[in-house]
Amino acid sequence: MVLTFCPPKGRTTIFSPEGRLYQIEYAMEAISHAGTVLGVLATDGVVLAAEKKVTGKLLDLSEAKEGRYGGSGEKIFLLNSNVIGGVAGITADANSLVNYARSAAQQHLLRYNEDIPVELLAQRLCDLKQGYTQFGGLRPFGVSLLYAGYDPHYQFQLYHSDPSGNYSGWKATCIGANNGTAQSLLKQEYKDDITVEEAIGLVMRTMSKTMDSTTLGSEKLEFAVLTVDPVTKEPRAKIYRPAEIDALLVKHDLAKKDEDAEMKAT
Amino acid sequence: MSIMDHNGGSVVAMAGKDCVAIASDLRLGAGAMTVAMNFEKIFPVTDRIYLGLTGLATDITTLRDRFRYLVNMFTIKESRSIEPSTFAHLVSSTLYSRRFGPYFTEPVLAGLERTPSGGFKPYIAGADLIGCLNFAEDFIVAGTASDKLFGVAEGLWEPDLGPEDLFETISQTLLNSVDRDAYSGWGAIVYIITPEKVITRTLKGRMD
Amino acid sequence: MECSFALTGKDYVIIAADTTAARSIVKMKVDEDKIKTLSPHLLMAYSGESGDTIQFAEFIERNIRLYHIRNLYPLRPQSAASWIRRSLAESLRSRSPYTVNLLIGGFDTADESPHLYWVDYLGTMASVPFAAHGYGSYFALGLLDRYHNPDGSLEEGLDVLRRAINETAQRLVVAPGNYIVKVVDKDGTREIKL
Repeated sequence: MVLTFCPPKGRTTIFSPEGRLYQIEYAMEAISHAGTVLGVLATDGVVLAAEKKVTGKLLDLSEAKEGRYGGSGEKIFLLNSNVIGGVAGITADANSLVNYARSAAQQHLLRYNEDIPVELLAQRLCDLKQGYTQFGGLRPFGVSLLYAGYDPHYQFQLYHSDPSGNYSGWKATCIGANNGTAQSLLKQEYKDDITVEEAIGLVMRTMSKTMDSTTLGSEKLEFAVLTVDPVTKEPRAKIYRPAEIDALLVKHDLAKKDEDAEMKAT
Repeated sequence: MSIMDHNGGSVVAMAGKDCVAIASDLRLGAGAMTVAMNFEKIFPVTDRIYLGLTGLATDITTLRDRFRYLVNMFTIKESRSIEPSTFAHLVSSTLYSRRFGPYFTEPVLAGLERTPSGGFKPYIAGADLIGCLNFAEDFIVAGTASDKLFGVAEGLWEPDLGPEDLFETISQTLLNSVDRDAYSGWGAIVYIITPEKVITRTLKGRMD
Repeated sequence: MECSFALTGKDYVIIAADTTAARSIVKMKVDEDKIKTLSPHLLMAYSGESGDTIQFAEFIERNIRLYHIRNLYPLRPQSAASWIRRSLAESLRSRSPYTVNLLIGGFDTADESPHLYWVDYLGTMASVPFAAHGYGSYFALGLLDRYHNPDGSLEEGLDVLRRAINETAQRLVVAPGNYIVKVVDKDGTREIKL
C-alpha cells in the first residue's frame, strides 16, 4: 500500500556494526521527551490520561470546548467507536497515524460488519510502522501509542506500540516523559480487581506526580474513559472536555487552588 | 417481474411540524416466497437522519454498509455530523457513480436539518435508482407498494402534524397500503424523529 | 433436486443438506457432503451451480481459516456471514458471478448464542430462526412456521427437521433420498445421524 511508492533507495534504517538500528532508537528518544500518556486497565473499563505540551494563554481552544469528539486533539483521539488512542511523540506523525487507524477501523467495519478488535487495530498500525524500519529512504514514525479499547473477544484491553512496530498488552502503562517514574508508581498501586472509579483516581494521582507543574488543570491535561453501556452493551468512549476535566480534578481534590478564593475564605 | 420487485418491501417518509417520520414493512421475499419477517430497511445515519432503502435486498445491505462507511469517514474528517441535505447529495452521487450498472434501490431519507438560527427544519427526500433526487414538502414513498402508498398518503397526510399525529398518519398509511400488496407486509417499523429524541415503534399488521 | 434446511434452537443450530451430486438428470454421487465446517463453531451448507459451489465454498473456507490463523480467534458468525455475503454481492456484478446459495449457521462463543443466516446467490442475507433452499423450501417453510420452537431442545429441533424432510420426500417428485445433518453448539460442530 503505502510502501509501493517508495523505491528501496537511501540508507536511513540500516544496522550499525553493533547490530542496532539507530533511527529506531532516536525515534524512541524523541518520544521519551514527549508529554506523558498514561493508561490503566480496570475490570469495567479503561482509563487514559495525557499531558499536553502545547499550552498558553493565546492558544485558540474554542474548538476543544464544543467541537470534535472531546479533547483538544493534541494527545487523545477517538480511533473508532470502541478504541481510544493516546499518542506520544512527534505530533505531526501521530496525526498521520491516527488518520490511518481511523480509516483502517472503518475498512474493517465495512468488510466484516463489526467494530475492529482492539489487538487487530494495533497490529494494523504496527505493520505500517514496521515497514518504515526496513524500507529505505524514509524515517520511522516518531510515535508511541496507547490503545484503550473493548471488543467481545477479550473485553477491555490496553495496548502499547512503539516506533519499531512492536506492540504489547498491559494492565497499566505509561509512555513519554517520566514514564519510568510513572510505571513504578503504577506497579506499586495497581490491583487486579481495580474498578474504573479507582482507576480514574490512580491515573489522576500518578499524573499529578509525574507532570512538571505542581497543579493540574484542563489546560495541561487530556482525559478519556472507555466503558460499556450497561443497557445496550455497546462500548462507550468518552473523551473529556476541558470543563469536565476540571470538574473531575475538583472531585479528586487535585484541582488548582484559586488563591483569591482562598484569601476570601479565610 | 422487475428485479426491483424480487425481494419486495416498501418505505414511506412524511414531514410534520418540527418532526419527520419514516416507516417500512419487515418482509423479505424471494419472488412470491417469504424468507424473513424481520428484514429492516431503515437505518440510522446520524441522530437526526434515517435512511430507508427499497428494492433489491443485496443492494440494500451493500448500500447500508457503504453509506455507513462514507458517513463515518465524513464525520472523522469534518469533526461534525452530516446534515440531511449534504447526505442527500452523498446518496445521489453514490448511486450515480453506478449510472450504467445501477444499484437496484430507491432510497428515501428523512431527517431534521439544522437552520442558521439553531432550530431544526423537517427534511425528506427520495431518489430513483440512479440518484435523481426528489425533494418533497409532504411525503415520499418507495417500494412495491408505492402506488398504493401514494394514494393513501395523499388522502391522510395534512400539514403541521405533531409527532403523535404524524405517527398515527404514517402508520395507517403504511399498514393499509401494504395490505393491498402481496410483496410487502409482515409488520412494520416506524421512526419519529424530533429534535430531542427518536421514537421507534414496531407494529403488527395482517401477519400473512 | 438439491434441498437444504436449517433451524436454530435454544443454544444450537442444525443444518441439513442432501447428499446428491447430480449432472442433468443423472445422479453422479449419492454421498456428497455439502456442509463445510468453516471454523470451530461455524457451518455452511452450499448448493447451486455444481462447479461454482465447490470453488466458492473452498475459497470461503480457506479465507475464514486464514483469518483464524492470523488472529488466533475466528470471525464471529455475524462477521463471517457479512463477509461471505459481500463476496457474493461483489461476485454478482463481476464478469463471472458465482451461482451459490448458502445457509450459514454458527454459535457465537462471545455471547453464547446461536445464529443462522439465509444467503442467496445475489448476496441477499437475512438473519432467521429457520431457513431452507431449493424446492424443499416450498414444503418445509410452512411446517417450520408451524412447529419451530426457538427455545426447543436438540431432540425437539431434530423432530421438526424430520418432519420437513419427510414432507419433502412425500410430496416432491424429485426429492433427494439422503441427507447429512450437522449441529453446531457451544461444544463445536458435529455430524448427527437422523
